[in-house]
Amino acid sequence: MAENALIERLKESIIAYDEDAARKVAEEIVASDIDPLKVIEEGISSGANVVSDKFESEEYYLPELMLAGEAMEAASKIIMGGLSKEKRDEMEERTVGTAITATVFGDIHDIGKNILSMLLTVNGFKVIDLGRGVDSMEIVQRAREYKADIIALSALMTTTMPSQKEVIDILEAMDTRDEFIVMVGGGSTSLLWADEIGADGWAEIAPKAVELAKELVEKRRRG
Amino acid sequence: MKMVPPWRLNQLLERIESGPITTERDFDLRILTPKLRSLIKEYDLKFDPEQIVPSDNSLADDLWKAAWDLYLDVGTLCLSNHRRILFDESEIKEAMRFNSSEITVGAGRDARRMEKREIEDTRFPHSILSPDITCDEEIFTPYTIAYLQEPLADGVCAPILDTIEGLPIKSGSPMEVKGSIAHAMMFREAARRVGRPGLNLQSVGTAESDAAQIAVSNPEWGARPTDTRFVASLAELKIDYSLLNKMVHYHQYGGIPGALFGPLFGGYSGGAEGTALVGIAFHIMALMVNQTYWSLYFPIHFRYSYNTSRELLWVLSVTYQALARNTPFISLSGGFTDAGPCTPMVLYEAAAHGLASTVSGANLWEIATAENKHKNRATPLEARLACEVGYGSVEEGLKREDANELVKGLIAKYEDKLGNAPLGKMFQECYDLKTITPTKEYMDLYEEVKKELGDMGVPSI
Repeated sequence: MAENALIERLKESIIAYDEDAARKVAEEIVASDIDPLKVIEEGISSGANVVSDKFESEEYYLPELMLAGEAMEAASKIIMGGLSKEKRDEMEERTVGTAITATVFGDIHDIGKNILSMLLTVNGFKVIDLGRGVDSMEIVQRAREYKADIIALSALMTTTMPSQKEVIDILEAMDTRDEFIVMVGGGSTSLLWADEIGADGWAEIAPKAVELAKELVEKRRRG
Repeated sequence: MKMVPPWRLNQLLERIESGPITTERDFDLRILTPKLRSLIKEYDLKFDPEQIVPSDNSLADDLWKAAWDLYLDVGTLCLSNHRRILFDESEIKEAMRFNSSEITVGAGRDARRMEKREIEDTRFPHSILSPDITCDEEIFTPYTIAYLQEPLADGVCAPILDTIEGLPIKSGSPMEVKGSIAHAMMFREAARRVGRPGLNLQSVGTAESDAAQIAVSNPEWGARPTDTRFVASLAELKIDYSLLNKMVHYHQYGGIPGALFGPLFGGYSGGAEGTALVGIAFHIMALMVNQTYWSLYFPIHFRYSYNTSRELLWVLSVTYQALARNTPFISLSGGFTDAGPCTPMVLYEAAAHGLASTVSGANLWEIATAENKHKNRATPLEARLACEVGYGSVEEGLKREDANELVKGLIAKYEDKLGNAPLGKMFQECYDLKTITPTKEYMDLYEEVKKELGDMGVPSI
C-alpha cells in the first residue's frame, strides 16, 4: 500500500513538473527498497505518458513539457543510482533506444528539435541533444560515440535541408550508413525529400516522429 | 527630426559582452517562464474567445505594463556568448523618446511613408506583399513581377531561391552568397520592368547568413540604402552574433533595418496571454538590441504555423492595441494562413487577418499560406484581399466592436478545419506565367468570396 502511494506520488510530481518533489520522493523510494522496474514503469513512464498526452492536447505547452522532463530525469538518476550494476544493466536494456538529435549546420531554429528531444525522453529514449547549427561530421562522430540507434535531423529552411543530405553522405562515405536509422524533419521537409536523400523516416510533427522512431527501432531490432 | 535607432551603438556593443552569463536552459525555464507566469497572474491577463478584437483599453495598457516589466527583468539572451543583455528603465525610455514613429522607404516617386498607426486609425496601413516561401528558380521573375505589380504594394519581398543555375543553395556556403546576389539582381530588374524602379525591395530572403546579406548591399544592382532589411530574432527574446553583424552593417551602409520575430504559441511563451506579452517585449528588444526602425511581427501556432485562429488573432489584436496606445513603434502584422492558395478558406483567413490587424493599429505584411512550408504555394491574390479588407476597414471607419463581430463571422467559416486545411494550389497553377495574370478559376473564386464578404458586411475596396 505504502509502496503504491510512493509510486503514485512520484507520478504526480512528474505530472506537476515539480523537480524538487520528484527528487524527494525518489529518495524515499530508494530508501524503501521498492522494485525499481515497477517504479520506472508505474511511476516515471506512466507520469511521462500523462505529460505527453497533455502536451498533445495543448493543455501543457513547451515549458511544462521541459520541466516535467527535468523532474523525470532527476528522479530516474536517483533511482538508478541506488541500483546494483546488474540491475542497472537490466534497466539500460529496457531503454527504447538511443537518439542523437540536432538542428543541422546553418540553421538556428531549434524549437521543433527541442520538442522532439523532450518527447523522445518522456517516451523512454536516451537522448543526446547536440543543439543547433551542428556540423555534419560532428553529428556522425557523436552518433558513433554513443552507438546511437537514431540520428534525428531538423531543418526549418529549404536552404539548410542540404545539410541533412550531407550527414547521410558522410555516413555512406564512412561506410556506416547501416548502423543508424536516420530521420529528418522540420518546416520545409517532406516525405518526398526524405525519400530523395535516402533517409529512413520523416514525420510532419514531433509526436508523430516519436511514434515513427519507436516503430523503426522495433523493426530494426526484429531484423 | 528624431531619429533613433541606432541608440548608443558602442554602448550596446559593449553591453552585449558584459551581461551576466546564463545558460539557454536557465533563460527559458528559470528566467522567462516563471516571470511570464507571475505577470499573467499579477495583471490578471485572460484570453477571451468571444473578444478577439477587444475594445478594452485597460487590457491593452495592462499588457504593455506587464511586457515592460517582463523585458526589464528578462532582457535578451545572446546565444553566441551566453550573456544576457539587460537595460534599465531610463535607457529604454531614452531610446523610445528619440525613436522615430515615421520613416521613408523606397526612392524617388516610389518612396512611401511607413508610420506608426493608432487603433481605428484613419490612415491606410503601409502594406508589404510577400509570398514568404521558396520558389522554383525558373519562375522567380514572373513570380516576383506578380507581386510588384499589385497596386496596394508599398514594398515587396520576393520569394526565396533554393537553387541557382540548377545547383542547390546551402545556407552558410559560397553558393548562398552567389544565389543571394542573383536574387538581388533579378529582383531589381523585375522592379524596373514593372515601372516601379524605386519601390522598397525588402532584401534579400535568400541571404540567411550575415555574409550573404552583406554581399548583396550594392546601390547599383542590389539592396539600396533606401530598401528595408531584416535583423531577425530567435525564439524567445534571443539573438546571436550573426544577426547582430547584419545590424551593424545596415546602420553603417545606410539601410532601413526592421526586426523580425514570431513568438510561438505553445512554445516557451505558453498560451495566448504569454505569447502576447512576449510579442510586445520583442518590440522593445527590437529598439534596444536589434536597433531597428520597424518590426515584422508574426506570432504563430507552434505546430501548424498559422495565426488566423481565435487565440492568435487575439494575440495580434491586443499586441497592436498595446503598442498603439503606449509606444511610437512602427510594426507590420505578418499573416500566416493554414489553407493554401485558390481555396475559399485561404481568402477567409486573409480577410480575418487584414481586418483584425488594421483596426487594432497594425500595418500589413501579407501573406504566407499553407503553413508556410510548401514551395511555390502563395500568390498575390490572397495578399491583395487581405490588404483590400484592411483598406476597406479604414474607409468605413470600422470600430473594434464591429471588427470583432466580423472577425468572429469569418473564423466560423474555417475554424473547424484549422490543423487540417486544404493545401490549395501552387503559384504556377493559379497564374498564367506568360501574361502574369491570375487564372480564371482563381479570379472567379476571389470575386465570389469578395461578394460573400460584402454580404457579411466585411468592408473592402
